[in-house]
Amino acid sequence: MIYLDYAATSKYKPEEVYKAFEYYFREIGVSPGRGTYKLGVEASRMLYKTRKIVANYFGCEKHNVIFTKNSTEAINLFFNGYLEKGDHVIMSCYEHNAVLRPLTKLKEKGIIEYSIITREDMNLSAEELYIKYAKKNTKLFVTTLASNLTGRVIYRPELTKIMKANGVSTFVDSSQGAGKIRISMQDECIDYLAFTGHKDLLAMPGVGGLVCVEVPTVQPLLQGGTGVLGDKYTNPDVFPDAYEAGTLNMPAIWSLHASLSWIIDNFDSITRHEQELLSYLLDKLATVRKLIVYDKDYNRVSTVGINIGGMKSNELVQLLDENDICTRGGIHCAILAHEAINTSDIGVVRISLGWSTTREEIDKLIEVLRSVGE
Amino acid sequence: MYIVFYSTSHVFEAEERLNENGIDCKVVPTPVTDKAYCGVCIETSAHNAECYVKDIEHCVI
Repeated sequence: MIYLDYAATSKYKPEEVYKAFEYYFREIGVSPGRGTYKLGVEASRMLYKTRKIVANYFGCEKHNVIFTKNSTEAINLFFNGYLEKGDHVIMSCYEHNAVLRPLTKLKEKGIIEYSIITREDMNLSAEELYIKYAKKNTKLFVTTLASNLTGRVIYRPELTKIMKANGVSTFVDSSQGAGKIRISMQDECIDYLAFTGHKDLLAMPGVGGLVCVEVPTVQPLLQGGTGVLGDKYTNPDVFPDAYEAGTLNMPAIWSLHASLSWIIDNFDSITRHEQELLSYLLDKLATVRKLIVYDKDYNRVSTVGINIGGMKSNELVQLLDENDICTRGGIHCAILAHEAINTSDIGVVRISLGWSTTREEIDKLIEVLRSVGE
Repeated sequence: MYIVFYSTSHVFEAEERLNENGIDCKVVPTPVTDKAYCGVCIETSAHNAECYVKDIEHCVI
């Protein structure tokens, strides 16, 4: 079986990640911040170590990391807690539904307004974009790191810098690209960043979070047990505990510690490997008749969106699956991006590579695609 | 003495700082229960320990 759906989830993890997960599950197996016996203390220590490595990885000096079950929860936590009546938000036309939907709900409730930067305008300079889209009440600029549909890198540090310089807070959804592009929140003026563990960060599913340069003053999404100040009737005003009510998924969190350690140690070789494979894939795709590559001429992560000669994406995905090749068709929870590249009707076939992908797997993919193109 | 913190995360940040500076310390259950602070705190006999955690909200008991 050839797995080319890393943008959905990294099916294959480094061995260290499986070992960390198993170690936590078998040898620790208790929750942090609850029991004060040695094992409970060790669990809390491991949670702290993971907070620290996440913050360091994203270039955030303080360990202001809130763990959630995925990036969607982190995004909802942040938007619902941070945005207030009358606020205006700017986002790119490549945002995932995890960003679009909570913002649209807030808009429908009459709390916020938003503007979407069009695909054409994405080519404007940072200054031109700011002048065109910012309003007096613009509170937040939102951008994905990379498109989950075409792989195009959407994040531009010059944009977060100009927004910040003009008093607009900045938010990056790093769900796509986090393990493939190094960013520094502090140097690049990113106030808030959501991440998920199970995609490019190569951890187990069930962990994500919000990284904040400064401790946020937003309302928690969930009320419940926090392990601290248990006499209060609502979550205490303690960071980050107030935002992590309920039991954390520590086996997944500890696997994230292992995966980030592995990524940090191997970052250059992973990115070199994936970029070489990406070039190889794009060269080969260019030889397939009737094949379209979307956002072909842009800087990208190792994800490519294609179609062949008007064929519906689900048909091509099915054909590839019959040849034991896993790709993803349809809308990819990214309706804004599909509208931007005009593929809402037929969908797109997404091919996404990962650290364990090989040239031989790409050759097999091309062989099948050629049979369709001809 | 005990150095207690509001956030569990701060307990381990403090432990790390003290270890890095050669201060002997232990993470132990907080004597005042979780009504006042988080469930664990730092126990140390080093009188200068507090100077390493001055920028973290804490209390010495």
